[in-house]
Amino acid sequence: MAVKLSANYSKKLGLPQYSSHSFSASVEIELTDISQVEAEVQKLYQLLQHSVDQEIQEPGFVPQASNGHAQANHRNYPSQGQIRQQSKSPRQPRANGDAWNCTDGQRGFILRIVSDNNLEKQEAEDLSQQLFGLGVKQLNKMQASQLIEDLLVKAGKPARQTRWQQRPTQRQAA
Amino acid sequence: MNTQAPPKEEPSEKDIIASLQEQVSASRLNLFLQCRLKFFFRYVLKIKKPKTASLHVGNAVHAVLKSWNKARWVQKPLTLIQAHEAYAKAWSDDPDGIPWKPDEEAEEKTTGWRLVNTYLRESHLPADVKPDAVEVPVEANLINHGLPRLIGILDLVQQRKVIDYKTCASNPNSEKAAHSHEIQTSSYSLLYRHNTGQQESGVELHHLVKLKNPKVVITPMPPMMPRQQLRLFKQIEAYTEGLQRQDFIPSPGMQCASCEFFNECRRWH
Repeated sequence: MAVKLSANYSKKLGLPQYSSHSFSASVEIELTDISQVEAEVQKLYQLLQHSVDQEIQEPGFVPQASNGHAQANHRNYPSQGQIRQQSKSPRQPRANGDAWNCTDGQRGFILRIVSDNNLEKQEAEDLSQQLFGLGVKQLNKMQASQLIEDLLVKAGKPARQTRWQQRPTQRQAA
Repeated sequence: MNTQAPPKEEPSEKDIIASLQEQVSASRLNLFLQCRLKFFFRYVLKIKKPKTASLHVGNAVHAVLKSWNKARWVQKPLTLIQAHEAYAKAWSDDPDGIPWKPDEEAEEKTTGWRLVNTYLRESHLPADVKPDAVEVPVEANLINHGLPRLIGILDLVQQRKVIDYKTCASNPNSEKAAHSHEIQTSSYSLLYRHNTGQQESGVELHHLVKLKNPKVVITPMPPMMPRQQLRLFKQIEAYTEGLQRQDFIPSPGMQCASCEFFNECRRWH
């Protein structure tokens, strides 16, 4: 007997001028076995939450603060990008402190390249500033990965796997 | 006392499959979905095949575009002569030794440079816009989705736009290109988001077309939609489940005409 699993995820967010907007998404799936429920619930939760979060970042119409007249939101409301930045604040560069924005693995790798190759930490810092206008600790994961590539080149080490030199294929180079 | 290290054992087929289950890339996923037996020959048995001329052209073109992008990033843009030197150097880097036919190498080398020259001359990469990343390896842990780690290398990221270079022999159709490269573009979008905490502003395929008069065709695409991500997740799930079952059944079709494992496949039963 098929087991039906319904999942719903909704989110409501506040907007300027005491307004708010909300969005919800639902799915219903059929399972062949009740033992699949736990795994499927976990999967659906992730999926729905991600989908709702993606869409809810666009607030659409928002009342203007000054006179209450209707006006398109793009004039007085943070842009979609800004909202995303706010919603992802833990991943954004921090101004100070000892915390690194990249992964622990990347942090260790950067420090190891510097120490193993007799580089000065300042050289890594300068390179980071030159490329990104940010200190090493402020780099996100993509920027840290780029810095690692460039530090390896600076240290005269072969770069990590290069996409275009490792893939044998009969097809045209993609 | 014998201090000699024991010879390193080759990983077993089982070990190789287990490691393939732990991480996936767009190219592995594409190949698995195209033909599981071809995937098996390439990634499990690791049968080596000679590099093709078109791949060598693609490699050299990519290498010089990488140098070009890196140079303009640090505000020391390459002159056309320096770009040509970088191209010549990349061309001569041929550890696999391609079995060229007479005159073929010179022709292919010229073709590749004309592609690069056209691309740079048409200013598809304005010198005043700094890249965000150039040929950067990135990964995303998808364990929360019950999926393996996704890995990939982004050719160029600029103004939050993910750009991927392609060399091809005929004009691409935009809609078909967007469809046929969706695994790759969705993977790159996902990787960009995981590694920056931001949504990409879009994805672009830059096709450098090897015509008599080379041309560049740019296919712009909007940011990945949730349904595209879901589609990618289902494809990755099919990949992991297929590997789990050791499902390496061939998928005969038109694509077999150019498959380097044609003979191995014919012997398969």
